[in-house]
Amino acid sequence: MITGFAGLTYKKFEGSTFQLLSDVVYNAMEMASVNSNDIDGLFFTMLSGTFDGKANIHFPSFQIPAFLGIKPRYIDIVDYGGPSALTMVYRAEKLVNSGEIDTALCIVGGKGSFLRENKVTADSVDKFYNISLTPFDEFFRVYEDMNPVTDYALVAKRHQKLFGTTDEQRAMIAVNQRKNAINNEKSLYKSPLSVKDVISSRLVSDPLRLLEIVYPVDGFHAFIVSKHQRNSNLRPLKIHFYGEAHWAEMPPELPDIVYTPTIESSKGVSLEKIDAFELYDSFTITVLLEIEDIGLTEKGKGGKFVEEKDTTFKGEIPINTGGGSLNVGQPAFMSGGVILEEALSQLNGMAKGHQVEGANRVLVNGIGGWNRGHAVTMVLGE
Amino acid sequence: MFDEIKKEYINLMNNEKLPYIKCKSCGNVFFYPRDYCPKCNSKNLEVKVSKGDGKVFSITKFQGKKGDTYYGIVEMDEGFRIYSNIKNSLEIGDKVTVEFIEENGRKIPIFKGLSGT
Ligand SMILES: [Zn+2]
Repeated sequence: MITGFAGLTYKKFEGSTFQLLSDVVYNAMEMASVNSNDIDGLFFTMLSGTFDGKANIHFPSFQIPAFLGIKPRYIDIVDYGGPSALTMVYRAEKLVNSGEIDTALCIVGGKGSFLRENKVTADSVDKFYNISLTPFDEFFRVYEDMNPVTDYALVAKRHQKLFGTTDEQRAMIAVNQRKNAINNEKSLYKSPLSVKDVISSRLVSDPLRLLEIVYPVDGFHAFIVSKHQRNSNLRPLKIHFYGEAHWAEMPPELPDIVYTPTIESSKGVSLEKIDAFELYDSFTITVLLEIEDIGLTEKGKGGKFVEEKDTTFKGEIPINTGGGSLNVGQPAFMSGGVILEEALSQLNGMAKGHQVEGANRVLVNGIGGWNRGHAVTMVLGE
Repeated sequence: MFDEIKKEYINLMNNEKLPYIKCKSCGNVFFYPRDYCPKCNSKNLEVKVSKGDGKVFSITKFQGKKGDTYYGIVEMDEGFRIYSNIKNSLEIGDKVTVEFIEENGRKIPIFKGLSGT
């Protein structure tokens, strides 16, 4: 069970990535009432350029335990971006239940500011480090793009064309998430937002505008999964549903780009009795796709859905109850930690100012990897 | 084999021809080169040359290095799709034809609209 969690996000953290990492890890260990000697399983993910501006650190499986002073018996690197945080917790839970390990530490994050200041995104890190990202680089990276924004813009554009989705409908997602963010102490943005504000913000990649796009920040999230509850005051939460799907195709080779693997990872999930939805929100369009792919509405009706339903934390279908990463920021280009932390806050009555009353079951959906290649759907509850 | 296909692709492009791969076992067509058909795993592949006509599958505009830049996915008449820059402002479904520009000493395909501005 998850006995501790912590997250720290900064617009820009001035210290080293390792320093930030240890602050978060020690906060999580404190909540779980464990120390570094108890940790015998380590799970982490890492993205090029997010560790003090290095393309990678040499054998992170050595450097991270060395810095934190832990001696794991088991190490697992989960590297598919957004959903990795969810997968780590799931795998840790299985290993704890099987008796293989006692206490696992799961880490996600890094520093996004270094790349941001150099105008590099996770998808264009090749241009900065002169490294190859795909086997197809010479036929694909030769074009001028602004990935990942342009890629999601292509999806939003096609969604508009196929289903008549409007800019205003997508803007509603940003507006409602901002309402949730206003009282979240972790939120970077707290001023009220209107549909007009969103659709008059700068057009970054048609049709996506500035206020529909996540802001890369510095930060880490850490989760402790342990067989010992000790002094942890967290509810003994279980993973009620877990599904994972990976679509390896290049987007031009997918049957269509308006679907995400969520359609597969969420297969069989019951949407009844779900009190809140924490959906990966790299962009407004990402949330719209997940709403459809999870089955909250049918494909193409996501625009109408967000127009008609109150998705604020007080509403009938609360979505991204803390404002999501659109407002908290996206640490190291991966939002999995942000949505998982919010789910755990909700389930433990710790979501001050944006608490969904009687939250007993939360669905978390992660999207990740270059070009929406991965999805993980998870339901947490007691 | 992969390197040979890539070499053949670049040669064709330098001669202003748009290559693609057809699987002789299952008929699957694709652009991004591989040794095995990603659909049926057959190695019985053939590099073919597209007629160069297609239509916009999706398109976006952003401020690039030289101002308004269009980037999109184009669906060719032969059935495969490719990422590319597009020369002009177009809508999804508009017809396009291939052109070649020089980039870092080699030619790469881009697309030009038959309609639009
Ligand atoms: Zn085949």
